[in-house]
Amino acid sequence: MLPNFAYVRPSTLVDAVKELAKPGAAAHAGGTDLIGCLRDGVFDTKSVVSLTALKELHGVSATPDGGLRIGALTTLAEIARHPEIAKLYPALAQGAASAASPQLRNQGTLGGNICQRPRCWYFRGDFDCARKNGEFCYAENGENRYHAIFGGETCHIVHPSDTAPALVALEAVATVAGPNGKRKVPLGKFFVLPAVDHKRENVLAKGEILTEVVLPKAPEGARGGYRKMRVRGVWDFALAGLAYSVVVKGGKVERARLVLSGVAPIPWRVAEAEKVLTGKALDAATVKAAVEAAVAGAKPLAENAYKIDLVRAVVEEVLTAIPK
Amino acid sequence: MVELYWLQGAVPETTKPSPEMPPWKETAVVGKRVPRVDGYDRVSGSAVYPRDILLPDMLHAAILRCPHAHAKVKKIDVSAAEKMPGVRAILTAQSPGADIPWFPRRDKPSTSIFDQHLRCEGDEVAAVAADTLLQAQDALKAIKVQYEELPFVLSVEEALKEGAPVLHEGGNRVAPPAVYERGDLKKGLSEADAVVERTYTTACEIHVPMEVHGSVAKWDGNRLTVWDSTQGVFAVHETVAEALKIPMANVRVIGHYMGGGFGSKLECGKYTIIAALLAKVTARPVKLFLTREETFTMTGNRPPNKMSVRLGAKKDGTLTAIEFLSTGTGGAYPASATTSFMATDLYLCPNVKSSDENVFTNAGRARPFRAPGFPQCAWALEQAMDELAARLGMDPVELRLKNIPKTSQRRGNQPYTSTGLADCLREGAKAFGWNEARARKKPDGPVKKGFGVAASLWGYAGGPPSTVIVKLFSDGSVNLNMGAADIGTGTKTFMSMIVSEELGVPLEKIQIEHADTGTTQYTAPSGGSKTVPSDGPAARAAAWEVKKKLLALAAEEMKLPVEELMLSGAEIVSTKDSTKKLAVKAVKGLERQQVLVGVGTRGPNPEGKIVTPFAVHFAEVEVDERTGEVRVTRLVAAQDSGRPMNRLTYDCQVFGGLVMGIGLARTEERVLDRQTGKMVNANWHDYKIPTALDVPVDQKVVAVDPGDTECNATGAKGIGEPATIATAAAIANAVADAVGVRVVDSPITPIRMSQLFRERQKKG
Amino acid sequence: MDDHPCKHGDGCTCHSGVSRRGFLGSITTAAAGIAASGTLTAAPAPPPEKAQPDEPVKLQLSVNGRTHKVLVEPRWTLLYVLRDQLGLTGTKPGCERGECGACTVLIDGVARYSCLTLALEAKGKEVTTIEGLMKGEELGATQRAFVEEDGYQCGYCTPGQVMAAEGLLRVNPRPSMEEIRHGMSGNLCRCGAYVHIFKSVEKAAVLSASEKR
Repeated sequence: MLPNFAYVRPSTLVDAVKELAKPGAAAHAGGTDLIGCLRDGVFDTKSVVSLTALKELHGVSATPDGGLRIGALTTLAEIARHPEIAKLYPALAQGAASAASPQLRNQGTLGGNICQRPRCWYFRGDFDCARKNGEFCYAENGENRYHAIFGGETCHIVHPSDTAPALVALEAVATVAGPNGKRKVPLGKFFVLPAVDHKRENVLAKGEILTEVVLPKAPEGARGGYRKMRVRGVWDFALAGLAYSVVVKGGKVERARLVLSGVAPIPWRVAEAEKVLTGKALDAATVKAAVEAAVAGAKPLAENAYKIDLVRAVVEEVLTAIPK
Repeated sequence: MVELYWLQGAVPETTKPSPEMPPWKETAVVGKRVPRVDGYDRVSGSAVYPRDILLPDMLHAAILRCPHAHAKVKKIDVSAAEKMPGVRAILTAQSPGADIPWFPRRDKPSTSIFDQHLRCEGDEVAAVAADTLLQAQDALKAIKVQYEELPFVLSVEEALKEGAPVLHEGGNRVAPPAVYERGDLKKGLSEADAVVERTYTTACEIHVPMEVHGSVAKWDGNRLTVWDSTQGVFAVHETVAEALKIPMANVRVIGHYMGGGFGSKLECGKYTIIAALLAKVTARPVKLFLTREETFTMTGNRPPNKMSVRLGAKKDGTLTAIEFLSTGTGGAYPASATTSFMATDLYLCPNVKSSDENVFTNAGRARPFRAPGFPQCAWALEQAMDELAARLGMDPVELRLKNIPKTSQRRGNQPYTSTGLADCLREGAKAFGWNEARARKKPDGPVKKGFGVAASLWGYAGGPPSTVIVKLFSDGSVNLNMGAADIGTGTKTFMSMIVSEELGVPLEKIQIEHADTGTTQYTAPSGGSKTVPSDGPAARAAAWEVKKKLLALAAEEMKLPVEELMLSGAEIVSTKDSTKKLAVKAVKGLERQQVLVGVGTRGPNPEGKIVTPFAVHFAEVEVDERTGEVRVTRLVAAQDSGRPMNRLTYDCQVFGGLVMGIGLARTEERVLDRQTGKMVNANWHDYKIPTALDVPVDQKVVAVDPGDTECNATGAKGIGEPATIATAAAIANAVADAVGVRVVDSPITPIRMSQLFRERQKKG
Repeated sequence: MDDHPCKHGDGCTCHSGVSRRGFLGSITTAAAGIAASGTLTAAPAPPPEKAQPDEPVKLQLSVNGRTHKVLVEPRWTLLYVLRDQLGLTGTKPGCERGECGACTVLIDGVARYSCLTLALEAKGKEVTTIEGLMKGEELGATQRAFVEEDGYQCGYCTPGQVMAAEGLLRVNPRPSMEEIRHGMSGNLCRCGAYVHIFKSVEKAAVLSASEKR
């Protein structure tokens, strides 16, 4: 049931920022998440600001220092089949390929995938929950099998993105354009925990647009990927998943980035596990220690302790498969 | 008779049964692989589904529904909504003519269309008709309703507690528990060398056909035409006439195409009545289709069940005792939630006890869902059989073969007209490679393979009434007139094939008129696998009668005795001298009359015998012991549904049944919020039905045809439900084979498996 | 660019100088100007396209090779316009929330859900629906394949399945079975005819190839 809204499609970033700064404006990239939210009445919108005419938000190009710049309007399908991304940043390619369905990937964009609203069924449903205007989080004592085991507190959503964990693992930096010009935000600092603000998922301020993501040069010899577990074979969000980028040199882990999906309100980097790995050989003992470090501090709700097991399983599976 | 669908007990035949027709032997058309006769319409976009209907001056309607699990309407204010742009009419309980009892066809209609006592989320509160659908939906938001929220119950246990909120006068029990007994259960258990006992549950499943439920209603004076997405135009016809208190002759219901039902569209919905009421007050056609979200709460479900099973057997596998105790809830209004039938009839066993208990809860009402009760029963019974086999050290196929009945023990020990259960087990096992698979050595890796089997029967195989008319035109082409809907099962195609078989007319020369109460004849709704065995024989009888009339005319003109003549393609030929022939087009009597009409009716089922389809399913799965991920990698379905009518659509239906079974086994589950009683997953993201990546490419159908010449004139017993009953249980058994963990609660998600692995680890 | 005060009140995005009814038409020429000049920054920025709630605006929509001039509201989806405004009811609504694929159409040759596409977003793009695969009264190759292999049951999801198959085959004319399964994984079939759908897509690849020869 789409409510009434005005529609604006600016052709310059300056105009787009101006339109988005107005009260009740919402950004439309691929539209796949926005239209669902509007249909479900998740938030009120006076105007839909379509970004699709902003040419500078499209496309993938090399950066001078050997990295890659991906425009926020690049579709997930374009990312999933981009040969350079598949070769140098497999975690991102696999993340994009594992999201949603083929048609949604043809339409949904990287920017939209990063900025999509949570899929919590209370948030999306006819419940006045804390993330909307309500008093409390229904998941706390409700149907919480899909909810967070890390970082929950006042709201127990999990971040729905399959590309964001990869981008955090790859140490990507987002460019954000807003009323005050452009700023750079590392993806690792882009997302906001409920403890900070349970009404938003990221640092974008009113009127700000995520315009591009810049990936630094891929470290030599890095092994990476994204492993996602879900109920259905496709068209499903992660019960838990792991985006990783690991460099093994001379039999030892030189650098490890492990970021979990589906278990926390933000892409959940398990820095303790990374620490455990760094400088060590990837033997069974190290893997076991990393597995334990990855789940340390988990606070499951009544129905989602299984996610701890899934995290253990996926960390073990991934690390064991990396050539020593 | 099993308690099924809306058809209960004996029904009168429409007219007297047609003359004996000998069973078919070799067939020329029937049983072949024939693409659908309406394939063009379905792939070109030219098929007009009810949802597609656009009439001049048509309004669009939407329903305001209760947002609470249990409430009463205290006050309703439509004044703001009435002033919204495009709004033409608003209906509430207070509107003149809207106080209609529901269901009109039930003995005790205790509620009404806009009942002020709202017993579940989604109950109807008001309706709006507007120029556009969006305007109607906007207006819904402007209707102000004051509710008195009431305490609610969601489970059988809560509903039966003392002091529990009561949904209907007389308490929360729909009826006293239905108990069935034969022999002496205690004795049977004491005689057993092995006894297994366990409690199983199945989650509530929602039908969610691709086309949502809805109708278009148009009045011409006091005559009403309804286009409905339905499995049975005649069921809708009766209910609409009764609800609106107008003669059936003033109501015409058309349902040419429909986008799936699976049992949820066997009956008339409130939406149809509401559309008719809105059309009446606005004097304009009204289109009312539900939203996808509404179909999750308000168009039925497969009720959740809890089943405790106890089996006893001798060392050699002979069953001595079966106990099957089932509870369930059909939701807020009367609906069946029974499961026990198959447990009392599938295997030979002298000592049996079953009971079915059904209570009201504040949740969406159940409707028959593809083989109602049977897949749940199989989930419990067939897993228990598997456990029993393990306990006895017997092969699961062997254990089942040991206990094959020749009679229906539940139905007065009457013999089956045919039983292919043993053949399904044997031939299915062969096609699956069962013995080789079970004898394999398990690999070391974390991903384990497993193999499972489950057997089933279905408790219904059609019957009267059904009337079909076949008309032969003077040029030898044919009109086939039947009341049945083609719900995706290929009804139009197989009915044409039957006519073609008898009359030798090619399919492209058969015109079809169907599913229209104004122009076709009564038949029960297409459900319960009844269309082939009920309407097929009527079609054959109609064609048979046309043939008889044609041969009689030809005999006169050829001056030959009619017994000597046969119809062969477009010619009438003497069986004694093949040079004596007459083209159908050249029959003068036909030319004079221009049309020969044959009326075929479905005769009664054979007296003293039971017609029953059987099926055995085999599954191969892979289970990741680390993550609990389960993949179904291979399925074989051995089906005894008698003679296949169209092998192409027969296979397609079986594949569909298997996929639905995967849904029960692996992904589907209604989730009600314990805090509010509201459904949290009323959409296709959170309520997960199988996708292309959840089903194996490797699916095989073995058609076991026992050559049943007694069941009816087609030799077919129906395939729709038997195609889905055993699947989920076979998958669960395969999972148990793979990792040694028995999953008693559906669905088998990584969530469930992780929890079970954790429990196993705890136990050591 | 300044917003000018108007009667629409707070949050209104009316733009000065261009009448609401006319702006979409004028944008077409402006957009062409950008393309010709080569870079975005070099050209004078065209004003944003705007449409008010409940106020239909003109849209030129290209569907199956034919141009339609329609008045649309901002909240109208492409699915709604195709069906309720243009009468192209081959494209089916299943969920209207991107969860089933029944409404799949091709937009510039790429399979997308028309229920999640605002009609205004289809401006300047070529939309292909199930009706557009027909060759006059004859079925197209992909459609024929679905009939021959019985790739459906109730047929309601079928137009979406056929369009998804068409989209897949345009990118990958000879897909493997695995590629077919993945390519068709954005379309639900509640009847569960997937095995026959897979076969239909295999057959469609063959038929399409022989048609091109």
